[in-house]
Amino acid sequence: MASSKAPITSTPIIPSTPRIKFLPKIALPRIPKPQQLLSLPHSSLKSISVILAATSFSLSQAPPSLAEEFEKAALFDFNLTLPIIVVEFLFLMFALDKIYYSPLGKFMDERDAAIREKLSSVKDTSQEVKQLEDQAAAVMRAARAEISAALNKMKKETQLEVEQKLAEGRKKVEAELQEALANLEKQKEDTIKALDSQIATLSEEIVKKVLPVS
Amino acid sequence: MLSCSINTLKGLYDISGVEVGQHFYWQIGGFQVHGQVLITSWVVIAILLGSATIAVRNPQTIPTGSQNFFEYVLEFIRDVSKTQIGEEYGPWVPFIGTMFLFIFVSNWSGALLPWKIIQLPHGELAAPTNDINTTVALALLTSVAYFYAGLTKKGLSYFGKYIQPTPILLPINILEDFTKPLSLSFRLFGNILADELVVVVLVSLVPSVVPIPVMFLGLFTSGIQALIFATLAAAYIGESMEGHH
Repeated sequence: MASSKAPITSTPIIPSTPRIKFLPKIALPRIPKPQQLLSLPHSSLKSISVILAATSFSLSQAPPSLAEEFEKAALFDFNLTLPIIVVEFLFLMFALDKIYYSPLGKFMDERDAAIREKLSSVKDTSQEVKQLEDQAAAVMRAARAEISAALNKMKKETQLEVEQKLAEGRKKVEAELQEALANLEKQKEDTIKALDSQIATLSEEIVKKVLPVS
Repeated sequence: MLSCSINTLKGLYDISGVEVGQHFYWQIGGFQVHGQVLITSWVVIAILLGSATIAVRNPQTIPTGSQNFFEYVLEFIRDVSKTQIGEEYGPWVPFIGTMFLFIFVSNWSGALLPWKIIQLPHGELAAPTNDINTTVALALLTSVAYFYAGLTKKGLSYFGKYIQPTPILLPINILEDFTKPLSLSFRLFGNILADELVVVVLVSLVPSVVPIPVMFLGLFTSGIQALIFATLAAAYIGESMEGHH
């Protein structure tokens, strides 16, 4: 029963053309007229093989950098660089703080504070200066007053002295004057007396001369 | 047909010289690192520390030259911090200042220093802030900083701010904690990378004098970006430290 039937072989009947490497096994159905159709598969096989050869050849000829670009499409390529940059930035921050921000910042702040203090102290000292000036003016005034008082006193004293001296002198002069006047009076009287006697004689002579001598 | 199109692509790639997304990879432990970012960041750190050390020794009462400049920078940073944070701005000056100076010097170093002289085997040297890792790192530091500020000032009642002024805004307030670092990082990254790309493309396409206005624009905007980053960081810190309404 089973043995009488021959198994239907489904193995493909491949034409006698030489097998081509790239081609997978193409299962060709049993062709009733193998002769006629052999030419068609043969040509299609050949064109397919030519195209495949061309592409593989060109791919192998592709510039290696382009091939690498395809590997590493690298615009958004995150890798260990990110944490390394974080560490570098933190290092830079602390180093700059120690070298630049803190020292220079402190220096600038101190300078500002010193300038502000000087400004405010200058304002204070200007008040002090005013006070001192007032004091000086007061002292000057007091001194001047003293001087003028002393001057006045001295003037008065000397004036008194002078007046005294004047009075003395006047007295003296007056005394002398009186003396001189008294002298003059006396002389006058003397001369008058003398003249009196002469007058008497003179008048006698005149009478004698004038009146005819009888 | 396929091969000739690939050849033209290769040709264009060679003349454009733009190496976006090309990194100089190092291996540390089991991890990859962008070597070019680390190299340029070390140069920036060296510039900052070196110039600060030289300028600040022997401070004179009447400042001249570099001491004057550094005093101006410090006053500027203090002013930014004071405006945003308020009276307790003192402890935050190093953070805000370093943020501002690092980003500013990074951006300007990328624009001004002749990095192209040094040829790397892969990728090129440019501003360290043109890499997403750097900007996200700075933004995450800012997030941590404002959380730290809020928690140290108010304790756990800091979390009450999520339901201010009304609990309906809770999801928005939570979302804000994600959008703040996101916007900070992408704003900086986009500005710096795009400016670099524009300059490189213009330089490769057009004769030498024409890209100069774009370069000046790049200097200006990168400076502004540094200021914006620092000001926003200070603003977030001030916002989490401010008292009850």
